[in-house]
Amino acid sequence: MAMGKQLQTALTLTGQYAGLVAFAIFTTFPFLWALSVALSADPSNTWLFPRSFWPTDLSLMWFKRVFDEMPFMVYMKNSTLITIESIIGVVFISILAGYPLARLRFPGRNFIFVAILATMMLPSEVAIIPNFITLKHLGLLDTHLGVIVPNFAAAFGIFLMKQAFEAVPQDLVDAARVDGATEMQILWRVMVPVSGPSIAALGIFSLVNAWNDYLWPSIVISTRDKLPLAVGVFNDLTGPFATSYSMVMAAIVMTVIPVLIFFAFTQRFFIGGMDGAVK
Amino acid sequence: MKNSSSYTGIAYLFLAPALILMGIFTFWPVGYNAYLAFNDYSISDGVATWNNFAHFKYIYEEELFHQALKNSLLYLLIVPVIQVAALLVAKLVNNKLPGMTFFRAAFYIPVITAVSIAGVVWINVYKYDGILTWFLQMIHVIPQGSEGQVDWLGNPDIALYGVMLFTFWKGIGWFMVLYLAGLQAIPKEVEEAAILDGANVFQRFWKITVPMVKPTILLCTLMSTIAALKTFQEVIILTKGQADTYTSLFYVYDQAFRNYNFGRAAAAGLVVTFFCMILAAIQFRFLGEKK
Repeated sequence: MAMGKQLQTALTLTGQYAGLVAFAIFTTFPFLWALSVALSADPSNTWLFPRSFWPTDLSLMWFKRVFDEMPFMVYMKNSTLITIESIIGVVFISILAGYPLARLRFPGRNFIFVAILATMMLPSEVAIIPNFITLKHLGLLDTHLGVIVPNFAAAFGIFLMKQAFEAVPQDLVDAARVDGATEMQILWRVMVPVSGPSIAALGIFSLVNAWNDYLWPSIVISTRDKLPLAVGVFNDLTGPFATSYSMVMAAIVMTVIPVLIFFAFTQRFFIGGMDGAVK
Repeated sequence: MKNSSSYTGIAYLFLAPALILMGIFTFWPVGYNAYLAFNDYSISDGVATWNNFAHFKYIYEEELFHQALKNSLLYLLIVPVIQVAALLVAKLVNNKLPGMTFFRAAFYIPVITAVSIAGVVWINVYKYDGILTWFLQMIHVIPQGSEGQVDWLGNPDIALYGVMLFTFWKGIGWFMVLYLAGLQAIPKEVEEAAILDGANVFQRFWKITVPMVKPTILLCTLMSTIAALKTFQEVIILTKGQADTYTSLFYVYDQAFRNYNFGRAAAAGLVVTFFCMILAAIQFRFLGEKK
C-alpha cells in the first residue's frame, strides 16, 4: 500500500516534470537555435537539424560584427531612454490616478472609473491615425516624446494601482489624517511605501511594453539614429543584413538578453504583484 | 473629519494628468476616428468633407475587407485554445517543486521578446526547410525529403494558422502569469478538503479551480478576444499580409499608411471597434458574475 502510494507520487512528479520540460522546449527552441547559430563561426550546419542546436566552431565573431556593422549601441541607448521615461511616466500617473479612485469619495468617481476601464476594450490601434495627426500638430513626430507620451496614461496601470491602494488598511490612513497629513503626503508616505510589490509589477510591465513596442515607434520615428532596438534591429535584419543568418541570429540574441537578465532578477516581484490585477 | 465634497477638488487634481492624457490620446482619437469614418480626409491640408457613408458603402462591398474580417473572426479560434492551455500550464507551475523559477522564466521568455524580433526567428522556423518541417518529418506527420517541405507562411490554406501558432507561443506566458496570480489566491484548505472527500484530479479542476478563478478567466478571455480581433503586428512581420493572412486591422493600417486613405481606414477601424464591443458585452453576459 505504502509502495503504491510512493509509486503514484513518483509517477505524478515525473509527469509534471515531463510536462514542464516539454513546454519549456516549446517556448525556448527558437532562441536556443538562434543562440547556437550565432555562436557558430561556421554557418554550414544552420539548416541541419538537430545538429544546428549545438554550435559548430564556437566563436563570438558574429556578435562582434553586429557591434561593428549595426548602430547597435545607438538603438540600445534609445531603447533604454524610452523605457526609463515610460516607466517613470506610467508609474507616476497611475499612482496619482489610482489613489482617488480607490480611497476618496467624490462625485463622478464611478463614471470616471468605468470610462477608464472601458478603454481596455477598445482596440488601441484605432487610435493610431488620430494620434499620428495630433503628434503632427504638436510637432512631436520623430521625437522620443512622441513615442512615450501617448502610452503614459494606461487603463491597466491605473486599475492595478487602484486595486493595490484598496488593500491598504484604513487604520494607516486614519492615523496619518489625525497627524494632520495632507492627501499628497498620505499617498506618497503611506500608500506608496506599502504597495511596493504592485508598483514593482507595474514598473516591470511598463518596462516590457516600452522595450518591446514595435508598431508605434516605427510610425512615429523616421530618423534611423532615433530608433529603439525593436524597430532598428528589425529594419536592419529584414533589410541590409538579411543575407547573413548568423549575424541576424546574433543580433536577436543580443536584443533578447538585456530583458532576460532584468527579468531573471525581478520575476519574483512581478508574479507576486500581478495578484492585484485579477482580484 | 472632512465631509466627502471637500475631497472633490483634490481627487480631480490627482486624476487630472491621467484624464488629460487619456482625453488627448485615447478618448479624442476614438471620437475623431468616428468622425473621420464619415468624411474624406485630405492629408495635405487636413480638410475633412462629409461623404454620405461612402467609406462604409465601399468596404461593405469590397472583397478584401470581407476577407480581412473573416480572417479576424477566424483568429478567435485561438482564444479558447490559449486560455485552456494557459490555465493548465499555470496549474503546472503553481506546484512548489525544485526548479520552478527556471520554468516560469522559460515560459515567459516569448512574452518579454519584442514581437518584431521574435517574428524574425519564427520566419526561419517556418522556412520550407526550417525547424517545423524537420520536426514534423521526424515524427512522420509529413513525408520525408523535399516533397514534404512546406512553405508554411506562403501557403494560403495554412499561413493564418501559422500566424496563430506564433500568437499562441508569444502570448501563453502572459496569461499563465495572470492565472498563476489567480491560483495563488485559492486557499489551500479548499483543495485539501476535496482530496479528503476523494475527488480526483479532473473533478478538482472543474469543481474547484475553474469556479475559483472565474474572474481571472473572464479578464483573460476578454483580453485575448480583443487581442485576437486586433491581430496585426504578427501579420505585418510574419507574412506582410500575403497568403490570405490579411486581418481587419492590417486592412486599417494598409489603407492609412500605404493608401493614405485615412477616412476609409477609420471606417474599417470603427467596424472593428464595434465587433470588440459586441464580443466584450457577450462575454460579460455569459462569464461575468453579478456583483
